[in-house]
Amino acid sequence: MDSFQQLIYGFGVALQPMNLLWALVGSVLGTAIGVLPGIGPALTIALLLPVTISIAPTAAFIMFAGVLYGAMYGGSTTSILINTPGEAGSMMTALEGNKMARDGRGAPALATAAIGSFVAGTIATIALTFVAPSVAELAFILRPADYFALTVLSFCSVAVVMGASRVRGFISLFIGLALGTVGIDQMTGQPRLTFGVADLLDGVELTVVLVALFAVGEILFVASRYDRSQEKPLKVGGRWFTREDFCRSWKPWLRGTVIGFPIGTLPAGGSEIPTMLSYTLERKLAKKPEEFGHGAIEGVAGPEAANNAAAAGILVPLLTLGLPTSATAAILLAAFQNYGLQPGPNLFNSNPELVWGLIASLYIGNAMLLVLNLPLVGIWVKLLSIPKPQLYAGILIFALIGIWGVSGSVVDLMLMVAIGLMGYVMRVYDFPIAPVLIGLILGQMAENQLRVALASRQGSPWVLLETPTSVVLLLIAAGTFLVPMLLRRLRAAA
Amino acid sequence: MTSFHAARPYWLAAIVIGMGGVCIWGASFLPGASRYAGIGPGAFAMIVGVGLVLLGGILAIQILRGATFEAQATESADTDRPVNHKALALALIAAAVPIVTIQALGLPLTAMISFTLVARAFGSRTLWLDLGVGLVLGSLSWLLFNALGLQLGDFLPFIGG
Repeated sequence: MDSFQQLIYGFGVALQPMNLLWALVGSVLGTAIGVLPGIGPALTIALLLPVTISIAPTAAFIMFAGVLYGAMYGGSTTSILINTPGEAGSMMTALEGNKMARDGRGAPALATAAIGSFVAGTIATIALTFVAPSVAELAFILRPADYFALTVLSFCSVAVVMGASRVRGFISLFIGLALGTVGIDQMTGQPRLTFGVADLLDGVELTVVLVALFAVGEILFVASRYDRSQEKPLKVGGRWFTREDFCRSWKPWLRGTVIGFPIGTLPAGGSEIPTMLSYTLERKLAKKPEEFGHGAIEGVAGPEAANNAAAAGILVPLLTLGLPTSATAAILLAAFQNYGLQPGPNLFNSNPELVWGLIASLYIGNAMLLVLNLPLVGIWVKLLSIPKPQLYAGILIFALIGIWGVSGSVVDLMLMVAIGLMGYVMRVYDFPIAPVLIGLILGQMAENQLRVALASRQGSPWVLLETPTSVVLLLIAAGTFLVPMLLRRLRAAA
Repeated sequence: MTSFHAARPYWLAAIVIGMGGVCIWGASFLPGASRYAGIGPGAFAMIVGVGLVLLGGILAIQILRGATFEAQATESADTDRPVNHKALALALIAAAVPIVTIQALGLPLTAMISFTLVARAFGSRTLWLDLGVGLVLGSLSWLLFNALGLQLGDFLPFIGG
C-alpha cells in the first residue's frame, strides 16, 4: 500500500466518533494550556500520561496530537494579547504581534497567526505523510553503529544549540545521561547506581524528571521572583483580517513552512531556530522593513507558520527512528514505551492503525483548532483571569498526582523535590533544561546500540567507523561544536 | 563580600564534580568490561562520571574568569527583583510535604496542605478559601483518576477508607 491509501485508512480510524472526541479533548486542553502560563505541551502530556493506563493507545496519541498543536495556538494568543511568549517558538510572534494589538490591530494579528498555523500545520502534515514512510524504510538499513552515531549527533546538537553556553548545555546533557544509567542494566541485569534503594531498580522515570524540572522548578522560580503586576490582555478590536493583510501574509506562511519543517526534522532542530530564521528572512524581504519592530504582519505570519511546521517535523525522527529531538518528543516517546511500543520502522508495519490514525488526526486537529481559535479567542483569554497563586498551586497538585499516581513511590516524591530544586538552580544560573530529558531518554538508546555494535565485533571500537553513514554522522557531530569555535577564532583573528 | 560570592558561584562547579564523583564511585563496583561487548555495565556510567568531572572543572575555570549567569526569563517572574527567600522556602516545603503526609493522610488532605502553601508563597491571603479549593481539587482529582484506574491510595488512610 502506498502512503495515500494508508492515509485514507488513517482517516477511517481518526474519524471514528470516539477518536474525534479525543481529538477535540486534546485540542481544547492544549489550547487552554497554551494560554496559561507555567505549563507547556511537554508537561501537559506528561501529566496526562497516567490516563494511558485506561485508554487505548490510538485514542491517547490522537489526544496528545491535539495537545501538541493546541498548545501552540494558545501560546500565540497570549504572545499577541499580553506579550508573554510561553515558549521559545512564540518569541518572535510576541515581538510584532503584541505591537499590532497595541495599535488596535489585534484581530488581524490573531487571524494571521491562526490561519498561518493552520496552513503550515497542514502542509507540514502532508510532508510528514509522504516523507515518514520513506525515512522509515531507510531506517531498516541503519546498523547499531549508525544509530549510536545518530544519538551522538543528537547529543552534540542539543547541547550546543540550546541555552547560552555550550559547557552548561553539556552539563545538562550529562546530568540526564547520569540519571539514565540508574537502574537495572538492560543487558546484564545488574543493578547500577541504585545504592541499595529498591525503588531505583526500575530506573529514574522520565515523568518524574520532567514534572520535577518543568512544574516544580518553575513554581519555585516564579514564587521566588513573583511579579504581582497583572498584565491586562489587550482588546481584540479593530478592523478584521483584510484582503491586504491576506496578500501580505500568504507568502510568509509558505516560506515559514518551508523553513520550519526540515529544521524540525533535524536532531535538536526545535522551534527556536526556524522561527528566528523566518523572522529575519521576512524582515529582509519586506517591502517596508521599517515597519518591523512596530507591528509588521509578516513578522507574525512567517514565524507562526515556521513554529507549527517545525512541530510536525519533530514527529518524523520520532516516528521513524524512535529519536526524540525535543522535550515534547521525549515525553511522547515515553508514552509509546508505556504501551510497550517502540517507535521506529517496525511501528509502521506492526501498528498501522496507530501511526496512520495519529497522522490523520493531525489534519483533523488542525482544522478543529482553527475553528476553536478564530471565533472563540475571547473565551480563551478569560482563562488569564485565574489568579496566579491558585493557578500555580493547582499545577503542583497535578504534578503530585502525575508522579504518585503512576508509581505510588515515596522515593519518587523525594526525587521530585530534589530534581525540582535542581530545576530552580538551573533556571537561576541559565542551564538549558531540555538536554537533561534528551540525555535521560536517549542515553539508554546510545548505550544499548554502542554495546550491541561492539559485541558484534568482539569489542573492537573500529566498528563505530565501519559504515559511511556512521562516519558522516560522527563528523557532523564533531562539526556542531568545532565549527562555532573555529568561526570565533577566525573572527578574533580578522 | 556577598557580591563576590554571588558573582562567583563555585559551588555550582563543585556540585557538578560531586555528581560525576558519585557516578564514578557507583561504576567502580561494576565490571567495566564484558566478554563479548568489550564494555560492560560499568563503562557507560564511568564515561558519564568522568565527563561530569571534566565539565565541572571547565565550569570552575569559566567562573574564575568571571562568567556571568543570567536567570532565564519566564512568565509572571521578574528576574530583576530581589529573591523572595521566604516564598521560595514555602513553595519548597509545599513540594516536600507529600513525602511525609501522602501515606498517612491520603491524597485529598495532602493536596489541601500543599495547595494552601503554594498559594501563600504567591502572596494569597485567603487562607480558608485556599484550604477549601485545595481540598475540593484534591478530592475531585482522586475520584476522577481513581475511576481511570490509577492507584492513588485510600481516600482517607487514617480511618481506613
